[in-house]
Amino acid sequence: MSKDLITSAVLKIAILAVLFAALPALLAYLGQGYLYQVVMLALIFSLLAVSLQLVTGIAGLLHLGHAAFYGVGAYIAALAGADYGIGFTLGLPLAGLGAAAIAFVVALPTMRLVSIYFAVATLGIGQMIFLVLQNWVEVTKGPNGVMLFTGIDLFGYTVDSELGTYFVVATIVCASIWVIHRLSHSYYGNALRSLREDDQCADAMGIDTVRLKIEAFMISSFFAGIAGALWAYTTGYISPMDFDFSESILILAMVVVGGLGSIPGAVIGALLLILLPEALRGVGDIRNIIVGFVLFFSILFLPKGLFGEVPALNFIRRQFGSAWQDNPDKQKVGWK
Amino acid sequence: MSAMLEVDNVSRRFGGLMAVDSVTTTVGEGELVGLIGPNGAGKTTLFNLISGFTPVSSGEIRYRGETISGLKPSVIASKGVSRTFQNLRVFPNMTVFDNVSVGAVGAIGQSPWQAITGGSKRAQQISERSWEALEKVRLTQYANDLAANLAYGKRKYLEIARALAMNPDLLILDEPAAGLNDSETAELAAFIKELHSSGITVMLVEHDMGLVMSICERIVVLASGRKIADAEPAVVRQNREVLEAYLGVDE
Repeated sequence: MSKDLITSAVLKIAILAVLFAALPALLAYLGQGYLYQVVMLALIFSLLAVSLQLVTGIAGLLHLGHAAFYGVGAYIAALAGADYGIGFTLGLPLAGLGAAAIAFVVALPTMRLVSIYFAVATLGIGQMIFLVLQNWVEVTKGPNGVMLFTGIDLFGYTVDSELGTYFVVATIVCASIWVIHRLSHSYYGNALRSLREDDQCADAMGIDTVRLKIEAFMISSFFAGIAGALWAYTTGYISPMDFDFSESILILAMVVVGGLGSIPGAVIGALLLILLPEALRGVGDIRNIIVGFVLFFSILFLPKGLFGEVPALNFIRRQFGSAWQDNPDKQKVGWK
Repeated sequence: MSAMLEVDNVSRRFGGLMAVDSVTTTVGEGELVGLIGPNGAGKTTLFNLISGFTPVSSGEIRYRGETISGLKPSVIASKGVSRTFQNLRVFPNMTVFDNVSVGAVGAIGQSPWQAITGGSKRAQQISERSWEALEKVRLTQYANDLAANLAYGKRKYLEIARALAMNPDLLILDEPAAGLNDSETAELAAFIKELHSSGITVMLVEHDMGLVMSICERIVVLASGRKIADAEPAVVRQNREVLEAYLGVDE
């Protein structure tokens, strides 16, 4: 018991130490703006992949328009900052809530659709949002995009260094992923998994399937919106092309390569698909072909993902200290 | 005995077919009732009507005096009516314990907020109740195995455990003995009697005549959607119409 507690504490401290000490120290030492951008992009995409995992891998709804909600968040934060003087402190929650509100409106009619029909509906929603960003020039400034010159402000204090921005992004991504981790690794998460497995049967277990799907979709979109706001503030410039269909597919690829249903898998998938192309910059245009090969072979040989759901859940239960073991056999089962 | 479940002149039509035709019956508090009939008699359809999976075409179903026909399956389930399925429907990619926990979380409930903060006793309740249900079906040693890897007979018990985790007052079992051999069926019969004596009202659809005759206190017989008998096993056994429709005339 105490030994397990130590293992999980060491793991958690190690993750925090890398994110908030080792990595920022390395970045500060290397001192390149470009590296900061890459690392923050990897963090933002980790959050996007984890939030999509909740809907697609766990609740089993194939969602092809996640990037559109990411875009909604980015535009809300950027326009609020550029046109209305609403800074990061308020813009960030607004971005999340705005994306969740749109998700709610969209979810009401689509959640009764099943499998491939739901996928096509989300594809359409993604396209609609993209076209609005592209063509509603008076508000969104159309294809020219939005410039955001203000830095991150935190309750009146302005963060202007790259290192400071990194800390803000890392903290918010880390807290958001923690929230999704708590949601997925709980009995609520089990109820979501039962929708994926057999939603009719879940219904017979007293689970309000439509309500749960709407909740999962809204929570997922909320965090996509948060990721969007982080992106707007780290780059200072956004355009509709950042949020088109291919971005949705990229996030979906991260989730599938990492392992459908696995939260740590989604992070691994995101890191792989952001860092690998960057690491291969030296080899020129052939790098995209190499990335394609890696994707192809990882799915061929590891169809359940680099860190699939079953090992991931075992890991979270046993090494991460999320299991319930208050039973006579002291078995680590279920969730605390 | 007060009526727990009342099926009042219920019909269900599928196109030109009357799958269930003006059936009226009741299940009393604490009873163990069997529902039998030849293939296509409408047994499973009647179960689907009771559990809300199929809407009734006409008539009314009441549970403890309250109309439940027209409600969603999840709402009916949360009132204390839980069911199993004819064609085994466990959640294959979830562990045995997690399967059972879905029944418990359906009955006890956990909101997203409670899942995130852990600030309520619900997770503990769900864990305890799931473990108890697993103990009842003697599957605790498989708690961390994937349901898909469980032997067929054990998956049957898993499905029952999942229904039990909802703490039901009325348990509806749809052909629990299908695909089991004789000794497994006998074991299951003993288990169902055990459940019944612990205070759960049980309604059972079965093909296996031996099982129904040996454990049920009352048997309802359907043929071509109509109820043709509703009596104790000994009486049903002698019923001429039942013998002709179901057991064959040669007996």
